[in-house]
Amino acid sequence: MSPEEIQQIFFVECEESLAAAETGLAACKAGTQDADTINAVFRAIHSIKGGAGAFGFAALQAYTHTFETLLSDVREGLVPLRPQLVDLLLRALDTLSDHVTAARGGGEAPDDAALIVEMEAAQANGGGAAGDAPDAPTPDAASPATASDEAADDEPAPIDMMDLDALLADISGGFESQPQAADDRWNVHLRPRAGAMRNGSEPLLMLREIVAMGGECVDCDVSQVPALDGFDPAQGYLGWTFAMPAEVSEDAVREIFDFIGDDCALEIGEDAVMPPVVIEPGMARPAPAPVAAESAPVEAPPPVVHEVKVEVEAAHAQAPAGAAPAAPPAPGQSIRIDLFKLDRLIDLVGELVIAQAMLVQRLDNANVMASEELGLLESLTRDIQESAMSIRAQPIGSVFSRVPRILRDLAASTGKHVKLEVIGESTELDKTVIERLGEPLTHLIRNAVDHGIESAEDRIAAGKPPEGTLTLSAEHRSGRILIAIADDGAGINRERVFAKAVEKGIVSPDAQLSAEEIDNLIFAAGFSTAQTVSNISGRGVGMDVVRQNVKELGGRITIESTEGKGTTFTLTLPLTLAISDGMIVNVGDQTLVVPLAHVVESLRPGADDVQGLGASRHMLNVRGRFIPVLSLREALGASQGATSPEEGVLIVVDTESAGQAALLVDDIQDQRQFVIKSLATNFRPVEGVAGATILGDGRVALIVDVDGLVACALPAHERQAA
Amino acid sequence: MSRTTRILTVDDSASMRALLNHALTSSGFDVAQADDGVSALEWLAVNEVDVVITDINMPRLDGFGLIEQVRGGARHRDRPILVLTTESSDDKKARARAAGATGWIVKPFDTDKLVAAVRRVAH
Repeated sequence: MSPEEIQQIFFVECEESLAAAETGLAACKAGTQDADTINAVFRAIHSIKGGAGAFGFAALQAYTHTFETLLSDVREGLVPLRPQLVDLLLRALDTLSDHVTAARGGGEAPDDAALIVEMEAAQANGGGAAGDAPDAPTPDAASPATASDEAADDEPAPIDMMDLDALLADISGGFESQPQAADDRWNVHLRPRAGAMRNGSEPLLMLREIVAMGGECVDCDVSQVPALDGFDPAQGYLGWTFAMPAEVSEDAVREIFDFIGDDCALEIGEDAVMPPVVIEPGMARPAPAPVAAESAPVEAPPPVVHEVKVEVEAAHAQAPAGAAPAAPPAPGQSIRIDLFKLDRLIDLVGELVIAQAMLVQRLDNANVMASEELGLLESLTRDIQESAMSIRAQPIGSVFSRVPRILRDLAASTGKHVKLEVIGESTELDKTVIERLGEPLTHLIRNAVDHGIESAEDRIAAGKPPEGTLTLSAEHRSGRILIAIADDGAGINRERVFAKAVEKGIVSPDAQLSAEEIDNLIFAAGFSTAQTVSNISGRGVGMDVVRQNVKELGGRITIESTEGKGTTFTLTLPLTLAISDGMIVNVGDQTLVVPLAHVVESLRPGADDVQGLGASRHMLNVRGRFIPVLSLREALGASQGATSPEEGVLIVVDTESAGQAALLVDDIQDQRQFVIKSLATNFRPVEGVAGATILGDGRVALIVDVDGLVACALPAHERQAA
Repeated sequence: MSRTTRILTVDDSASMRALLNHALTSSGFDVAQADDGVSALEWLAVNEVDVVITDINMPRLDGFGLIEQVRGGARHRDRPILVLTTESSDDKKARARAAGATGWIVKPFDTDKLVAAVRRVAH
């Protein structure tokens, strides 16, 4: 895995962490301020900080550090979580999100100076001084201080040790154990303690490291080793003195031992002496064999034992907190799978569905009665298909969780404060659909706040609460997902929409349009009802693009608006992009699939419903409105099939660019799910054909590209229809 | 040591695990990954390990809890456990040490130092 790929994982994680923090803070705002919630927020920010440091995003790291420090104090209960603080944290989260975006896109980091000041002030006001200041004491400062304190407490022992050292030096002759030696070498005294072994360290490896640096062992203090029956192998009885070459820095040596901390007493410097033996509690005490050892263990324990006890208490206090989260089922236990593998699985399941359908058809043709086993196979196949789909499915909450941020931004720019209600955020749908849903949804929400919800004064005048409400809901309905964005605003002003559409040349001034048709005009290309172009609508995305986005996902968008009461946009989307619902139709000897997303209705026209238009063109009268008829036989150049509407069935379809049209087919065979196979990858792109699928009898059927086909076959009709 | 040193990295952040994996495998270590204390214990129940490197802040079972459980068990009680975290307060260090941590590495880590730290404890 390349560093770039790892970085990508980090950014995906950032998104997850931001969403988790948003959810947590939203819960805090709603009054849930338990330890788990706050801890989850802390962990999310902490995780971003860790990655930011690792990947070298300095601005992001510095910012998250301040954020985390404040959260840490909140978590420890040092700073009370008042509503203003929750708001501050939410704003800080927004800026954090901008920081992440900047880090990801290489853009400029947001201006966070004011927020940092605010966060630091909040921390200070909350009594944060007593809090955990992560980088205040440097790691190097900690252990030597403790070690020298201990040395001071144990005054008598070092002196004994000194004498022994001197004695040993004299005996061995020539070895320098004093730092003041003429040689510019310097000495390190060290004595590993019991904790080192107990905590999994191997002091020998550290000694070897010192030797590797050029250190020379000038003394090994064995004086504290007890008699065998009092010997505890886990204790540290031995002390070493190393003479280090002048070019080795003290810090380099300290670094080796910084690591092991208090578990190895270390003395460096001119007046340094061998640290005393410390016999740690909880282990067998040595028999008081050597007299010199007597004084050390007796005097040394108080500070150490005390320290250990405190630590143990801290550990006990920590234990329930650490163990508690294990109780509720973890929501986030997951594995990451290459999307390619998943798509391959979905593909294979698609093949399985086809194979199963083929088998059923073959047995049916051979007059084998549908047996119990066949039914079992069918239900298993369906279960496998659903499970495979659910792997790609994600809760829509990941999209919804971004909405509070959008609303806060909008509140800042429009002054309209909007309350958000979310229903069904755990509703699941395909990952790809979710990813591509973000943009249209964002635009619909901006639209709802910008154009739908009135200003506070207007709302009060209309007898409504000053704060508008936006309701987002998601639900499964008959194999599709419905997402509704409802505002309680003024509703669509149809007169204005109509006037605007006339002005833009979208409709003729004398057109007779139903309320629904007027509402749908806002989806027309180049339409905008904003009286002034606000910076919200200034993103260059119109409602026509929203509709296009939804359509590309195989979905539809509908509007329901009541003047004075509000507007609801409803998106109807397929659960997956790989499998779709279609109408299987016959044209001559061809079998075709018309995607159900386009189908409005199908009918067998009566003689009065269709009017001729010139030699071979027809128009269908649908409840007083005329739409062009398109013969699929002609469009496909088929040699057989219905040529006049009376001979076949008409399918009324919605198209993106050409409005409605009626497709003429011989008859409708079935309506079922089909697996989309790309024609472009297997053959080449063909105009009017969206792809292919394999039918139950093994034959290949083309999927009609309704938009493309109607747009290219009916340019003349289109103009007449408009 | 003739056998490849086997390291279990425990971190809930996939990117941190990937970074550790990258740094350690390119230094010749054999690396296994777990995403929190609970999965680490599950892994340890059926695998041998030379060194454990763990984060502190994790869901389900945090680093302190993991260390305590490993030290309290029989199978891996003597294994070195390095704590790798962004927190460097004395309070946290003392807690980790009380739980039985072998050493402490502060994130963001320097690959050379990390590797040196692992070699220092791997026995």
